[in-house]
Amino acid sequence: MEKTEDLSQDLVKGDVSAPISDQLPSQLKVEPPKTQSPITAVGTKSTAITAGVPAEIDKIESKEIFSEFREHSVAEFFKKNRQMLGFSGKIRSLTTLVHEYVTNSLDACEEAKILPNIYVKIENLPDQHVRLYIEDNGPGIPKQFVGRALGQMLAGTKFHRFVQQRGQQGIGATGGTMYAQITTGKPVHCRSGIGDNNIFECDIAVDLKTNSPKISNMVEYTGKYRGLTIVGEFSEVKYDKSEYAPFEYLKATALANPHAQITVVEPNGERTVFERAHNEVPERPKPAQPHPLGVTTDDLINYSHHSKERKLSSFLTSNFARISDSKVDELRKLCPSINFDKMPRELKWEEAEALVNAFKQIKWIAPSADPLRPIGKEQIEKALKNVLKPEFISISERAPKVFRGGVPFLVEVGIAYKGKSGREKSDGFVGLDVKRFANRAPLLFDAGGCATMEAVKTIDWNRYGLKDIENMPVTIFMNLVSVHVPYTSAGKQAISTEEEIVEEFRYALMEVARDLDRYISGKIRDEQRESRKKAIKRYVKQLASDLPYLAGRGNTPEIEKKLIYLIENKYAKIFDKSTRLTADEVKAAKKEQVEAEIEE
Amino acid sequence: MVKKSDIKAGKDNAVSKLESMGNTLLTEIEKEQSPSFEAPLRGRSNVFHNEKTGCLYLGEKKEKRFFLNVAQAKKFMQTVAVASKCKKFKEENLHTSIRGLFYQLKFTLGDDIDEELFEEQSESNELVEDLEVSLAVKREELNLNTARKGVVAGPIRIKDKFAGDETIIDGTKQGRSGWMIPSDVDNGMELLDVDADYVLVVEKDAMWQRLNEDKFWKKENCILISPQGQASRGCRRLIRRLADLKLPIYCFADCDAWGWYIYWTIKTGSMNLAYLGESIATPEAKFLGVTMSDIDTYDFLSKLTIRAKEVDIKRAEEMLTYPWINKHPEWVNELKTVLEVKKKLEQDALQGPRLTFVADYVREKIEKKKFLP
Repeated sequence: MEKTEDLSQDLVKGDVSAPISDQLPSQLKVEPPKTQSPITAVGTKSTAITAGVPAEIDKIESKEIFSEFREHSVAEFFKKNRQMLGFSGKIRSLTTLVHEYVTNSLDACEEAKILPNIYVKIENLPDQHVRLYIEDNGPGIPKQFVGRALGQMLAGTKFHRFVQQRGQQGIGATGGTMYAQITTGKPVHCRSGIGDNNIFECDIAVDLKTNSPKISNMVEYTGKYRGLTIVGEFSEVKYDKSEYAPFEYLKATALANPHAQITVVEPNGERTVFERAHNEVPERPKPAQPHPLGVTTDDLINYSHHSKERKLSSFLTSNFARISDSKVDELRKLCPSINFDKMPRELKWEEAEALVNAFKQIKWIAPSADPLRPIGKEQIEKALKNVLKPEFISISERAPKVFRGGVPFLVEVGIAYKGKSGREKSDGFVGLDVKRFANRAPLLFDAGGCATMEAVKTIDWNRYGLKDIENMPVTIFMNLVSVHVPYTSAGKQAISTEEEIVEEFRYALMEVARDLDRYISGKIRDEQRESRKKAIKRYVKQLASDLPYLAGRGNTPEIEKKLIYLIENKYAKIFDKSTRLTADEVKAAKKEQVEAEIEE
Repeated sequence: MVKKSDIKAGKDNAVSKLESMGNTLLTEIEKEQSPSFEAPLRGRSNVFHNEKTGCLYLGEKKEKRFFLNVAQAKKFMQTVAVASKCKKFKEENLHTSIRGLFYQLKFTLGDDIDEELFEEQSESNELVEDLEVSLAVKREELNLNTARKGVVAGPIRIKDKFAGDETIIDGTKQGRSGWMIPSDVDNGMELLDVDADYVLVVEKDAMWQRLNEDKFWKKENCILISPQGQASRGCRRLIRRLADLKLPIYCFADCDAWGWYIYWTIKTGSMNLAYLGESIATPEAKFLGVTMSDIDTYDFLSKLTIRAKEVDIKRAEEMLTYPWINKHPEWVNELKTVLEVKKKLEQDALQGPRLTFVADYVREKIEKKKFLP
């Protein structure tokens, strides 16, 4: 299998298992699809469709799309298929806009090592137009790049990098520009300063035919502002306070980004500040090399044939994570027929296949977490405390793993109980709330098909005494950290149900569920002990007043004192004996519950 | 005026037992132990029948109650309250019923506590029994009267010392209603003369009145007792005391669950009062009738049977499992007949041919010694 374009250093394009939605636009733009590219696979509706392919693609007559693509630009394509970017439904569209801009701000701040300060203001205008104002204190955009950043699809700084980031595709901000344009006919206004006392403001639109920016009304002046401000007017959007709306989105963002301060002003003028809980900018992740366990034969052929290394052995050690000289020696033993000193580009398919099989027989160190940027146990705890003020928190700590094409990932799961945890349900009671994130970006939509929910669904909560978790004031925080998040669609709202990811989420959930179970049952025990002490104390007075008469000696106050002392100091011992009974009682109660259910 | 000797005698028994119970508890508290109170387990699992004496007894199983156990704390406190109150009755030499005791103890535990010391009489009743069992005193000794139930008539003279007076009761001069058997026939009750050939215990008061009207006790020279249903403690004690005078005891009850139960309670004692053992049982008692086999002798009875109720059938089945009953082939036979024909027979049915037939029936039965053991 031949790849047409040059392999970039970080090998990202060799990752055929990445969602097609990621790769599709760039390849289309560069040149028409070649026979062997993944695009063709979709075009011919062959079996090569991977799990990451968005469902929508199936519904569209693929051949038509691709024939049109020769004539139209990427921007034109997305104008027609805007739901793929998350612009479907009025509420969701507004959330998508906020998401795209805030995500960009957070990423930019982190890269520039700035503690983000983001201000979001949403105003209702006449004719059901909505004005969105988003200001950050990031590095700003240099004047010469602003057009491409906001007015050209796929022109961001993030694409082509095997590094974990929130955004990946470079279509978000331009998507917003485009959306303003097609719903109100207006360009978006932006202001930027990079901290050199020069500020500029301008209007930006996208030339949909050519996918190129149209800049107008450029004004430059001096001033102290550093950062980027976007002001856009949109229609076909609507503000409300549902779980899918911008407010929830920003609240969730604050949970996953404790280093950010986010202020939101709603159309009714209400101002909410999600305070910064942590004063350190997360460290920048390093670019990653693929892990041997995730490499396919095809990958290996592609990588090797584009390698500049002289020997197969050095190709392996320099291009893959965790392959050392001694591991190469192990490979030599497992594949005696392969010449490890030959040129990598001479690697044959059968040999590559043998190598991939050999990879699976060797014990590897887990992929390095270096390229991954987990929020971290401490920070998640701070954020959950800050936003939810819960009574109990538990955060999982799990080692990185690999999925599919050697993509390292790790999951972070937290559970918060009581306080402001949980979400108010339609019946007015508070129930389980699952906050999903991918690289700290909240996922609000398409929960059904998401790996996170899949994991939540498969947990036997009953085992953790949390059978009724749906109706408990519990927030579950789930973050997937990866250099490449396998979204189910370009809308980036659901993580595809990769077996390894679902499994990791499951383990993490079990960890925190166990902790919560322990906490709740411990609390019940404590409460029970106290209430039992109290129950016994009720009878002290009467007993103390009867006893002296019965015994013909002793005095009431002294007996009373003694009895209280006994209850306070000797009771714990006696109680622990009887807790065994209580455990039995609990069992009996659980059994009854199950039986009652069976009857139902 | 209460005689000094009476108080002293009381103190020797019940009061000293109550005091020593209080002392033990106090000592435990002083030693910083969880105060505890031990009482024999009552109920079927701890009730045994003694072949030799033919009575039901309480077994060895005991239950210890701790104040520092949330499930037992209230009962524990209540037990002490009951014990303390009984001591007071003793010292004041005043009697009351268990209902009177209940009202003495029905008060709130405190202004800030929404709970009463006792809410239901059943709670205090149970604790009185606990005290009786664990201290081995009878409730009468705690100055608690049980309900008076049961009448007696016949050639018997009793000296009744009560409230400072002495009264001689003549059983032949009690008119139409007989002498009501008191709850305590032991304290202050003396049997002066009992000049009778046997004792007839008649389940139903109506039947007793019938026989009394016929001057049955006079004609037969017997003592005629009706427990008026289930026999009270006083009634059972009186029967026991009469049996001690070597008088034969014949029981005349319905042939149904209730009748059998009344008979067996008199004979072996009841499970509830098993702790009183032989003092309340009369194993010598015989069951005179009515029986299913009476139908063979008295033809007319076959038309006067009633369909047995479920409780009768269940009771018959249960009785067949009690070793102290199924060791008597006569009873096995009787009960099996009942189970087979699913009928019952009331003693009132004997009035079928004529009202005075009842007396003839009893006479004939005793003459021919046609009893069930």
